[in-house]
Amino acid sequence: MCGILAVLGCSDDSQAKRVRVLELSRRLKHRGPDWSGLYQQGDCYLSHQRLAIIDPASGDQPLFNEDKTIVVTVNGEIYNHEELRKGMPNHKFRTGSDCDVIAHLYEEHGENFVDMLDGMFSFVLLDTRDNSFIVARDAIGITSLYIGWGLDGSVWISSELKGINDDCEHFESFPPGHLFSSKQGGLHRWYNPPWFSEAIPSTPYDPIVLRRAFENAVIKRLMTDVPFGVLLSGGLDSSLVASIAARHLAGTEAAKQWGAQLHSFCVGLEGSPDLKAAKEVADYLGTVHHEFHFTVQDGIDAIEDVIYHIETYDVTTIRASTPMFLMSRKIKSLGVKMVISGEGSDEIFGGYLYFHKAPNKEEFHSETCRKIKALHQYDCLRANKSTSAWGLEARVPFLDKEFINVAMSIDPEWKMIKPEQGRIEKWVLRKAFDDEEHPYLPKHILYRQKEQFSDGVGYSWIDGLKAHAEQHVTDKMMLNASHIFPHNTPTTKEAYYYRMIFERFFPQNSARLSVPGGASVACSTAKAIEWDASWSNNLDPSGRAALGVHLSAYAKLPSVPNGNLATKIINNVQLMMETPASGLTIRS
Amino acid sequence: MCGILAVFGCVDNSHAKRSRIIELSRRLRHRGPDWSGLHCHKDCYLAHQRLAIIDPTSGDQPLYNEDKTVVVTVNGEIYNHKQLREKLKSHQFRTGSDCEVIAHLYEEYGDDFVDMLDGMFSFVLLDTRDKSFIAARDAIGITPLYMGWGLDGSVWFASEMKALSDDCERFISFPPGHIYSSKHGELRRWYNPPWFAEQIPTTPYDPLLLREAFEKAVVKRLMTDVPFGVLLSGGLDSSLVAAVASRHMAESEAACQWGSQLHTFCVGLKGSPDLKAAREVADYIGTRHHEFYFTVQEGIDALEEVIYHIETYDVTTVRASTPMFLMSRKIKSLGVKMVLSGEGSDEVFGGYLYFHKAPNKEEFHQETCRKIKALHLYDCLRANKSTSAWGVEARVPFLDKEFINIAMGIDPEWKMVRPDLGRIEKWILRNAFDDDQKPYLPKHILYRQKEQFSDGVGYSWIDGLKDHANQQVTDAMLSNASFVYPENTPTTKEGYYYRTIFEKFFPKNAARSTVPGGPSVACSTAKAVEWDATWSKNPDPSGRAALGVHDAAYAEAVDAKNVSVMNGPPQKLQDGVVGKIATVV
Repeated sequence: MCGILAVLGCSDDSQAKRVRVLELSRRLKHRGPDWSGLYQQGDCYLSHQRLAIIDPASGDQPLFNEDKTIVVTVNGEIYNHEELRKGMPNHKFRTGSDCDVIAHLYEEHGENFVDMLDGMFSFVLLDTRDNSFIVARDAIGITSLYIGWGLDGSVWISSELKGINDDCEHFESFPPGHLFSSKQGGLHRWYNPPWFSEAIPSTPYDPIVLRRAFENAVIKRLMTDVPFGVLLSGGLDSSLVASIAARHLAGTEAAKQWGAQLHSFCVGLEGSPDLKAAKEVADYLGTVHHEFHFTVQDGIDAIEDVIYHIETYDVTTIRASTPMFLMSRKIKSLGVKMVISGEGSDEIFGGYLYFHKAPNKEEFHSETCRKIKALHQYDCLRANKSTSAWGLEARVPFLDKEFINVAMSIDPEWKMIKPEQGRIEKWVLRKAFDDEEHPYLPKHILYRQKEQFSDGVGYSWIDGLKAHAEQHVTDKMMLNASHIFPHNTPTTKEAYYYRMIFERFFPQNSARLSVPGGASVACSTAKAIEWDASWSNNLDPSGRAALGVHLSAYAKLPSVPNGNLATKIINNVQLMMETPASGLTIRS
Repeated sequence: MCGILAVFGCVDNSHAKRSRIIELSRRLRHRGPDWSGLHCHKDCYLAHQRLAIIDPTSGDQPLYNEDKTVVVTVNGEIYNHKQLREKLKSHQFRTGSDCEVIAHLYEEYGDDFVDMLDGMFSFVLLDTRDKSFIAARDAIGITPLYMGWGLDGSVWFASEMKALSDDCERFISFPPGHIYSSKHGELRRWYNPPWFAEQIPTTPYDPLLLREAFEKAVVKRLMTDVPFGVLLSGGLDSSLVAAVASRHMAESEAACQWGSQLHTFCVGLKGSPDLKAAREVADYIGTRHHEFYFTVQEGIDALEEVIYHIETYDVTTVRASTPMFLMSRKIKSLGVKMVLSGEGSDEVFGGYLYFHKAPNKEEFHQETCRKIKALHLYDCLRANKSTSAWGVEARVPFLDKEFINIAMGIDPEWKMVRPDLGRIEKWILRNAFDDDQKPYLPKHILYRQKEQFSDGVGYSWIDGLKDHANQQVTDAMLSNASFVYPENTPTTKEGYYYRTIFEKFFPKNAARSTVPGGPSVACSTAKAVEWDATWSKNPDPSGRAALGVHDAAYAEAVDAKNVSVMNGPPQKLQDGVVGKIATVV
């Protein structure tokens, strides 16, 4: 990832303004530790903090077309840049950077080229000939982007909220799949895939088509000039990513430079379910596996920093971001700059446990669509910002445009969970990689039900967070919560605690509006809560609290006949604060 | 390098205090991007931000003795840690970290072990049994350390000022070669080498002895578990470091892990003298050489950040730090975490051009002593903080304790610049490496006079800085300077400009007092300004402005006709350089 910041039309070209833009751009330095650049043309500033992944030697930004009339600052990876270059044989490229194509595509096609880009990206392009500019964000919002407006009539664009929140009167999250054009004077959606209308598709399930689409998505993402690895939690999604990457690494350019053995990374409290599961997969695949252990105290000590970086007060996101944030630092310290990660699968295939209760295929499908559309506020935000905090780039093959098209056109009947037919969640994905001759994964892993992220790092993690919040938020504070925080009122002490930290860093009204809210159970949208009457009584958003649909959850509580399993599971888990009296030790 | 922060006796062990310490410790994260740790014992906090160089997998800090009663947070490298471990046979070590010996040495020797450490270090050690603590800094001050006092009676230590300046009522630069012990409640100098008294030594010059001492100093510093390189400006000092490192690399452990070809790095404006000189040396030695270019605009854009990081408003230091700061970012982006650098040679051997005017060997020698004692405020500060800003560690073999003892034991008569005998500055060092059979460097490089740092990156760098400052600082501002800044009053617009930036980041009285001032010519101490009556009239502290003693300077001055030798080459500023575009190759 990189960090971009642009200020357009601020009617101020003084040295003081330049210094201010430099200062704000430095707030994004963690995203691009390798170099920085600032282009100024009158009262328009385009700045860039670079993480060098492709062409480290010459790809510094901003980038230009041949005669330097078009300037572009980009955060992202364009996987099809070589094909796009071939499509423009009369253009001369200045660098080997994958992002160099954007300026040239604009020259060739005007504003209508964004859908030609295959990758994840946010960019600002300035056409100095008429001082017009365009801004765009990738289809799903894998890369983060914000837009703001200053009182002086300026438009501000930034990879993270912290780049613009102090200088804009109003700002918001830039909608994914959209383009802002100064000529048109507004936003329009450039991303128009078939699934977007949420009509129910009818293509029959073809395991091989799905498998190929995913393999292609992973292979594309092996494009790199620097060391990389795979985040491996041992669950289905990350295990598939690791398996495919390991299988195809040998033939890639990356392997010639960095060796053909794949590195995999896992984080957890000591003895956590994820660590065990990941180790098993790593052993099977033969990766160079790295385990990172953290303590509950390490995590709690990091919470402020995490919230500052990920810019949300969403409870599930903070819980899941913290281990990822800690792990990213360790990964980066090994010299690794890029990781491939499994985000997006649960949204596309309805992998969250609450999908067990989907009443019919229509509801199931619409919920997956809603979940994908909201990804940029949740898992994409987490994956991008937790890693970028340490100059690490996360790539997410499940959110490949082509793959989504294939996966979202399958008749949702196939995605439905049907215990009577032996179909657990994400069965279509599991089945697609169930290859007897060249197994991607052993059967028991391929069909394993796994913890949802925050539980997988160790049960005491969430309990520890709750206990910590309990100590710092009084009942009295909760009583007044709706008056202090009328928007997205925190309903738990944990949420209240996170909110206090968020408000300290980002006190503006625009900032709190940029975070989604509303009722949710185990990561569901508000709409899906209607699926089960009992859910609305339980506001804990973690995976574990939900539903009692996890098979092992049933097994743990054989004597409980039925009813509200959720609360009982919670009450049965002991609170375990792993806080050594003498402080903390951190091991890797 | 790492970043350390410690607070003792703050009468507050709340969660809020813990959060505050964590927040302050984060201000040092650039020094140690790899991991962080915090040890809390009652109202004592020891925090650490780690750059992992030795034992990356298990050496996270704070470190402990066997029963965890002694806790230590260290920034540094202990080159003789293996020998020290041998001495501590009865002790059980928890990690492979070179710094772990400190906790065990304390157990064994109490407060009196610091001189046993060979390396660069700052550390704070807490003995939880009686809640006493000690803090110490290496002999010369290669690693930075600050000490502060809070109104609540707390004592603070931090690698950089920025971590304690907001929370302390008063703070100082921790004197190098000293130890603070809470039991005695005072600072005491542990570093007592023969040269410290500034008496004139009489040992005759022995080239081979000097050579061996320096080779040992370099070889020691090849100890690493991560990729490294050498900063190569093409001058004598960095070229010798590169030549020696390259020669011994094959035998080192590092070579087994990272390959035996040495990486070298040089920075400059395009076409600068350093780039050319470094390339020539790199080609001769056969290193993998990396050149980084920057533009004057990029340098100017970085100034605020540079001053924030290096925490000084000293003009020469800011000028020289900026290219080093930019280069360090590029070096880090290549995955390199440690570099060897040539700082200290000019101080030890009297290499600055103004030494040409030393009236006698006594003055010469005392000036070298004064310069070494002040290194922690100048070149050590620059080298450490410019690189640490990006998580790169700089090691400086010329400041090896053993090497300094030998070099400072030589009769200074030998160090004197004697054109009549063909001895230019640093002749004894050049001569020591003048090996006809196995040449370290070609003769013309070995005996080359080179630009002083800030000029070497390109003449237009300093001109560009001055020009920029002239635009930002008016005559009226400068005429009021003594009222606005009564302490260390800036005498040039450039000095004034840096000062305004510094004051913005570090507004406290205590902060400005950590920076040295006083008259100087071409990096001389105030005392040496007396060597030439004309010097006191020239406020420009750069190497170029000085003296007209550089052979090439003579030639240029002649070309420029009626420009006086004192003022150096003409001040031609090129409009084209200050372009608005910051692109880098």
